[in-house]
Order: sequence, then structure tokens, then C-alpha cells
Amino acid sequence: MSVPSSKKITLILGAELDKLVTLPWTWLTLIGTFIINLLLAAAFTSVGLQGAAGTQSILNIGLASMGYLQAGFLILGILAACSEYTGGQIRTTLTTIPWRGFQLSMKLLALAVITIPAAFIIAASGVLYTFIRMRDTAVGFEINTMIEALAGATGYLTLTALLSAAMGALLRRTTPALVILLGYYFVVSPLTKDFLPGLKKYFPDTVGNYMYMPPSPDEINVLTPLQGTGILMLWTLIFIIVAIVFYRRRDA
Amino acid sequence: MRAFNAELSKLFSLPGIWLAFFIGAIAPAVIAALDSMAQKEEIIAGVSTRLSEVGYIGLALGVQGVIILGVLAVSSEYLTESSESGGGQQITTSLTVVSSRLHLLLAKAGAVTVISILLCIVAIMTTVSATHLVLGEYTPAFEGSKLLGAVWYWTFTALLAFGITVLTKNGIIPLAVLIINTSVVSFSFLLSKVTKLALYLPDRAGTEMFMFTSDRFLSPFTGGLVMFAWVVVLFIAAAIVFHRRDVAS
Repeated sequence: MSVPSSKKITLILGAELDKLVTLPWTWLTLIGTFIINLLLAAAFTSVGLQGAAGTQSILNIGLASMGYLQAGFLILGILAACSEYTGGQIRTTLTTIPWRGFQLSMKLLALAVITIPAAFIIAASGVLYTFIRMRDTAVGFEINTMIEALAGATGYLTLTALLSAAMGALLRRTTPALVILLGYYFVVSPLTKDFLPGLKKYFPDTVGNYMYMPPSPDEINVLTPLQGTGILMLWTLIFIIVAIVFYRRRDA
Repeated sequence: MRAFNAELSKLFSLPGIWLAFFIGAIAPAVIAALDSMAQKEEIIAGVSTRLSEVGYIGLALGVQGVIILGVLAVSSEYLTESSESGGGQQITTSLTVVSSRLHLLLAKAGAVTVISILLCIVAIMTTVSATHLVLGEYTPAFEGSKLLGAVWYWTFTALLAFGITVLTKNGIIPLAVLIINTSVVSFSFLLSKVTKLALYLPDRAGTEMFMFTSDRFLSPFTGGLVMFAWVVVLFIAAAIVFHRRDVAS
């Protein structure tokens, strides 16, 4: 191949971005997530408005829908990885880009390029809606705190999408990947909270919560946002590395 | 009857169905065992406030198995084969063989119903034994009527998943919505804080059949009726849409 490697990176990244952008499901998922998040923010806000005035924090309520919001990004990550395997697209992909580890890394990078702005817009829209509705009743907050929380939320959603893409690449089928990830994030994880209090705070979803939730005083030895980010990055990296190792060794 | 047998055979040959069986048989027992362990001391001391939920919580949260079953039964028909093997959809073959669309839908729903009832009976057996294993002599008695309620809840949930998937033709949306909704932080729970009408949502009304929640709203029988009404409405909608829709679209 006579193409220099720096040119190669941009070419592959461009191709992967193209594939993601032209996937109709990407847009359906993002738009659906956006709308559902606004509806949920509305629901949480009206619950919040019923509470005593002056005690609620806009950030807490605006980000309360994050628990549901992550589902959209889980789906996005899985779709990005598994869409290659419906039909024989993966063989075309590997014929044109015969460097597997490289190709998967670029795919994940392309996913991150789409997820970061989307996650920011969606998370910010929820907070903005809550802010408009609750301006008068809630306690004020500093703009710095809000930026930190939103950055944390964006990072959390992006890393979650990457993690689920790695999981999708491992399992290669949409339904099992979806069932396992949704089952873990929504059923197993809330249930295990009470049983493994010591270990639980290092699990990928709990650790991610520390990235955007303002620290609450009643919890002892919580992690700082930076520690949370670090541990979640470690989780994501482990999953990506495992996915790449399997991807390189397996028959496509 | 032959269409029904064919549907059963199709369902059992799906690879994803074993995941459904595995989750359906194991998850309720594990959840019930964990929950029993967490409140074992309170139960022994006789101060537990959630004695009536012991075991049943596993059956309420462990319905993922039948959700997967209901979704897969339909979404597998609409899965496009790879272009290397013709790019067809199973649904065209199914409708060639059973040309009455209503019959196909009924046979499929029948197969899903039978399998979910059996799966729920297995789940009840594993859950009850897991609870006995953890709590020993302190296990509260399991009433037959409530267990029957759990069987109905599972069956109706499977049929809801089935109906929604007929409408969407794709497994992702129903799987995501229904799995999130069975979790502790369900949409229905959130909405029920906003409006009392949310208490009539199928999952909320359905759990009244066997869970005694502190804020009881419907009697077990009405709860079951409300959920059944949801299933009927959804099934009629699914039947109309399925009857009128072009298969190729």
C-alpha cells in the first residue's frame, strides 16, 4: 500500500464515520433519545415541582433522567458494532481495510466523534428544560458546577456507548448484546446495590454516576469525578482490548 | 393445529430462545434469593415490612425471559437474511405456507402463550425452592392464587411484547422499552408520581395480581382485567396492522 499511514488514518476514520452517519438507526436512536429525554425531564420536573420550594437542585432533577438516557447510548453503541454483522458487510469492510485492530479502533473513534456532541446536546437540553420550568422555585447554582456536571454526563454517556460497542463487537448479535447490557444496567445493577456495597462502587455504571452527580454528604468515601472517570475509562479500555483481541483472532 | 406446531418448532429452533429460557428460569430465583438474603434478619426478627413480597419480587422483576420470547417470536420473522443467502425474510415463507394472516398470528400467539406459561411454572419452582433454601423455616407460605396471578402476569407480558413487536417489526424498541420498564426504576413508577392514570399501565396493573405493594390501588382481579384489556387492545391493533400491511415493506 503506497498510502502514508497518516493519510490512512483519516481515510479509515472517514469511512467509518460515513458508515455510522448513513445508518438510519443512528438517527432514529438519537432523535428518539432526545425526545424521550425531554419527556422524562418534564416528568421529573413536575414531580420536583410538587416538592417543597427552595430545596431542589436544578442539576439533580435535570440529570435525573440520565438513568434512562443511557439506554439510548447503549443501543447506539451496539448498533454501531453489530450492524456490520447483519448481512456480510463485515467481509467487505475487512477486504478494504485488512488491519483489524486498527479498523475497530477507528470505528470506536468515529462512534465517539458522533456521541460526544449528541450526548452533550441531549444532556444539556434536559437541564435547560428543568431550568426554564424551575427557575423561580429551586435554589440557584453556579455556572461552573453546571459545566462540570454536563461534561461529566457527556463523558459518561460516551464511555458507555464505547463500552457497549465493544460488547457488541464481542457478541456480534444485536439481541443478546442488548439483553445483556440492558439487563445489567437496569435490572442487575440496581438490585446488587444493596448486596455488594463495597465492590459495587467500582462497577462501570456506579462509577460513572460519580462523574456527573454532585457529591451527596450522606455517602461516605464516594469517588471524586476524576476518579470516577479514570475507573470508567479503565473498564471501557479493558472491554475494548478484549474485543480487539477476539476480533483479530476470530473468523469473520 | 399444524400451524401451531410449526410455530412451536420455529420458536424452539431459534438460538436466542435459549437465552430467554435461561434468563426466565434462573433470574427470578437469583433475584428472590438475593432479596431474601438481604432481609433474612428482619424476617427472623419478625419486623420485616415486606414479608408479603418475599419471592414474588423475583417473579415481578424476572420477566425478561418471556419478554425476549415474545419479541424474538416476531422479530426473527422480519430479520433480513444476509445478501449472500438471498436477502429474504422468513415472514414471506411463513405467509406462503399459512396464507391466512390471522391464523398465523393466532398460531404464533398461541405458541408464545404456551411457552410462557411453562416457563413461568419452571420459574415459580426455582424461585420457591431458592426462597426456601435461603429462609428455611421462616419462608412465608406461597398462596396458589397469587402464583396463578404471576403466571398470568408473565403470559400477558409475553403477549404485550409480541403485540408491540408486530407493530414495530424490529426487536430493538420493544426490548429496550420493556426491559427498562421491568426494572426497579420503571417508567410507570415515575409516571405514577405525575398522574394517577399511570397506575392503569399494564405492568403496574399486572403486578397487583401478586404483589402487595404498600400503596395498593387495584384489587388483584381488576389488576388482571386491566392488563388483559391492554393485551386485547394491543392484539387487535396488531392484527389489523398485520392484516393490512404489505409484507415486503
